Amino acid sequence: MNTENNNKLNDKHLLISVDRSEEAKRAVLYVADFVGGFPGFRATLMSIVQEPEADFFENEQERTAWLEREIASTRHNLENYRQILIQSGFPEDKVDIRLCRDSRKSLSDAILSFQCEMSCCTVVVGRQHKTRTEEFLFGSVSSQLIHAAKNCAVWVVE
Amino acid sequence: MPDENSIYSQEELLRMVRQWVPEGRVPRKIRVKDTSDFFRIDYDDVVVLEGVPYLVRNNEREGRFGIPDEQKFWVKRAIDLVSGKVKILKWAFREQFHSRIGGLVFECVRSPRKEARILEMVRGRPDFMQGAAVRDSADNPLRVVDYIRGKTLEDVTLSLGGSHEEFFFNHYPALLLDFIASIRAIRYLHENAEKHGDIRRDHLIKDKTTGQYRWIDFDYNYRHGASRFGYDLFGLGNILIFITGRGDITTRGLLREAPDLFNTLTEDDLNIVFNARVANLKKIYPYITDYLNHILMHFSAGARVYYEDTRELIEDLEEALERLRG
Repeated sequence: MNTENNNKLNDKHLLISVDRSEEAKRAVLYVADFVGGFPGFRATLMSIVQEPEADFFENEQERTAWLEREIASTRHNLENYRQILIQSGFPEDKVDIRLCRDSRKSLSDAILSFQCEMSCCTVVVGRQHKTRTEEFLFGSVSSQLIHAAKNCAVWVVE
Repeated sequence: MPDENSIYSQEELLRMVRQWVPEGRVPRKIRVKDTSDFFRIDYDDVVVLEGVPYLVRNNEREGRFGIPDEQKFWVKRAIDLVSGKVKILKWAFREQFHSRIGGLVFECVRSPRKEARILEMVRGRPDFMQGAAVRDSADNPLRVVDYIRGKTLEDVTLSLGGSHEEFFFNHYPALLLDFIASIRAIRYLHENAEKHGDIRRDHLIKDKTTGQYRWIDFDYNYRHGASRFGYDLFGLGNILIFITGRGDITTRGLLREAPDLFNTLTEDDLNIVFNARVANLKKIYPYITDYLNHILMHFSAGARVYYEDTRELIEDLEEALERLRG
């Protein structure tokens, strides 16, 4: 096994789930402040493009155009956050980005299946402050993660 | 492709109409209309869809949020002139809009494509309306749906029992059993990544022929957030509270008719979204079992945990029913 692989295995792998919200930005800044510059950490910034069902579009072209715009904008956002982590002291080769598309799974299921696949020890999310009604009707990713996560820590950044 | 409108002569159509319509109701002249514009199609017109002529009757109506009998111009009752069966013709009417509920605004769509897709998925199931999509002359999906003879769950519930206590012990268990079966139907949709989208007590009809409830009208879709089926579950919770209370128990009604009971209520006892409706029914009807009331409280403003899927709700309701039957 080479040194690079050894480092990969020994590093604590943080999965930071982000979108374009202020809360997500706070989560990235928190990780940057908290562990940026310390050895032994790697991070994957992950965004899920939650594709609305085809019913929300007049036709396939409209759906494809929406998706292309959304993917470009999400990728741009992920790149920005990657730079923030690098500037905070994460080595360039220890910050990955991952963009996923998923319309069938819930967001929290998609995050946790990625966490499991990548053996991340910690999931980091920003907490969006929702009213009870909103959480009841449309759910909360951070609450769902806290309840469903297994074999990993969940950092919910206020 | 031959013009569908000229497949049948006036004489043929009149002969067919006479087979199914009482003599006094037979129109003097048959007008065969183009199928692409529902606004131009009136009572007594004939439309031909995939070779089948339909005699159009009235527009369907629907009450919503206290507005009774709103006409749905794109939904028309009709007689299939070949079989004589009553059908509901639902023209393609796509609209995208924002719904407002409990101070929240969210994106919704009325999608003929969605309903056509689900009709295909639930074909042959006794717990959903049955029908198929055909194309109108402008190639839009028009749905031809079997008319269901029967009462809505709302009408059935309100017609049962004398006092609430008598209703609860003698009629409610059977009603709950039927409702659990209807939740299983929704579970089937969810397992196939579809939402109903507009779960309401008047969208469940007890089919007179089979005795089973059928879900109708699944052309709505909503943009979900972290919880894909949360809004559907909210609809199921509202129906559950309605059938358990044999109607909605409102704060206004209590204030007028039972101020002592009204005074026992706290905010946590009310429906989490519709704050004028009581969810904690045990405070109104003390013989409601704790277990069942605990389920109702998942839909109250005081709830700290919510149902995430129909499986949990079904399991809890089955247990509640078991306990009710003692």
